[in-house]
Amino acid sequence: MIDFAVEFSGVTKRYKHFTLDQMDLKLPTGCIMGFVGANGAGKSTTLRILMGLVHQDAGTVQVLGYTMPDQQAPAKLEIGFLSEDMRLYGTPTLEWHMNFMRSIYPRWDGAHADSLLRRFDLKSQQRIKGMSHGQRVKAALLLALARRPKLLVLDEPTTGLDPIARREVLGELMAVLADEERTVLFSSHNTAEVEQISDQITFIDGGRILASSDKEAFLDRWRRLRLVLPPNTKLPGLPGIVNIDGSGRLPVVTTNQFEPKMVTACTEVGVTVQAVDVMTLEEIFLASVQGQRKGQAL
Amino acid sequence: MNIAMVSRLIWKDWYLNRMGILASLIGGLTTLALVAAMHASQIALILGVIVVVTILIGMGAMVMISAAMERKQQTLPFVMSLPISYLEYTTAKIVGGMMIFLVLWVALVIEVVAMILLAPGFPHGVIPFVVIMSVEILMSTCLISAVAVTTESHGWAVAAAQVGAISLNGIGWSIVRLPEIGGNMNSATVRWNGTETAMLAAELALIVLMIVITFFVQARKKDFI
Repeated sequence: MIDFAVEFSGVTKRYKHFTLDQMDLKLPTGCIMGFVGANGAGKSTTLRILMGLVHQDAGTVQVLGYTMPDQQAPAKLEIGFLSEDMRLYGTPTLEWHMNFMRSIYPRWDGAHADSLLRRFDLKSQQRIKGMSHGQRVKAALLLALARRPKLLVLDEPTTGLDPIARREVLGELMAVLADEERTVLFSSHNTAEVEQISDQITFIDGGRILASSDKEAFLDRWRRLRLVLPPNTKLPGLPGIVNIDGSGRLPVVTTNQFEPKMVTACTEVGVTVQAVDVMTLEEIFLASVQGQRKGQAL
Repeated sequence: MNIAMVSRLIWKDWYLNRMGILASLIGGLTTLALVAAMHASQIALILGVIVVVTILIGMGAMVMISAAMERKQQTLPFVMSLPISYLEYTTAKIVGGMMIFLVLWVALVIEVVAMILLAPGFPHGVIPFVVIMSVEILMSTCLISAVAVTTESHGWAVAAAQVGAISLNGIGWSIVRLPEIGGNMNSATVRWNGTETAMLAAELALIVLMIVITFFVQARKKDFI
């Protein structure tokens, strides 16, 4: 039986101009899930509901066995949270923040905090307001990691960073995650980041989950077929067609249920398969969103 | 209610406001000591009272607006990611803010009353008026706190501070004209009458009401960031 760190069931949250609609989401314990969506797709709302900071209108949320939002205080003792709109106090030093966290979290690991200080190249005596944006993100990441959380929730942590700082933060995050065993939910609109870090992928758009699966399954199932149709030949019925681009005789078919026998099925009816293209996660995400907005089931 | 966690948040606010508390305390006490040393000079008394009231209102506003500032400075997501509920956060903000303010308020009110009683030349009958106005300042601070915590809006909190400052002048100007209060101010002894007691009770009741309303509104909130 799979143990889930996060379970959303029929979660709905209505705002005036946005609705998170009947969301079902399961994150197995020990997995790193990339939560991908465009701006305004509902990523932050989902993660805030997960943290108990926003109360759902309907549905149930279980996090590490705690019911949210009612049991948010004990749940947050075991969660490390970092969001792009989160700031530390400007005047105190990083050491003050570390001492403050140590007084709150019984699992605070001083030795781990010291090792992260060195790894992130941070100075504990430095005031937060004197740090660059990249250093502030690393400082917040240090505070989240040194409490040894069972679940790490990262809401677009690299937003606003320049490319060098983003690469640094991401590199350090990957190194830290490689060392440790924990469940991570990582939201981003940057598919390259998500592809680097995650082993599970969930796409969200317009307040709805489009697809949720392990990364390899995503990359294996999605293909783009470049076909040539002979005159008076119809496209054969292929499974999982998400999109058809190109001209009438030269269609480019995107499918999310690719199997090698599809190529055989095409050739049997006289259709030439010019190429079967592997798709990047970004292309898969864009095709998913396009399909969702056209009203096709994924 | 996780008292240990609430206490840590209160300690955090004390730490973040420590320089303001210290400066206000030193400034207020020094001002009053100078007024006392001038032996009931009316100009010194008026200037001293203005300085003390300004310090109290300024300090109260600074501490209480910190709830709205946490949203503006985006430290609220950091605080709310800690293992607390929103009611515990509210309790910490109100109790912590009031404790900071009360340290200053109690120290200055005691020194003002002591100065009137001990320094030569001040009529003791002014004490009920001083106490009523001091509690009015406390009430204004509660108003700022209630507005800042419930709206989390810097603009609304500043508006509440302005309303508090205006009402302080309005109430002071009005009650000093009441014969039951104004008529007693120049007497040599302290005499609390029914009007003064009722006014004090009404102020305290309003303070309690504002705190209750704040918790009621906070308990009904669904979105905290």
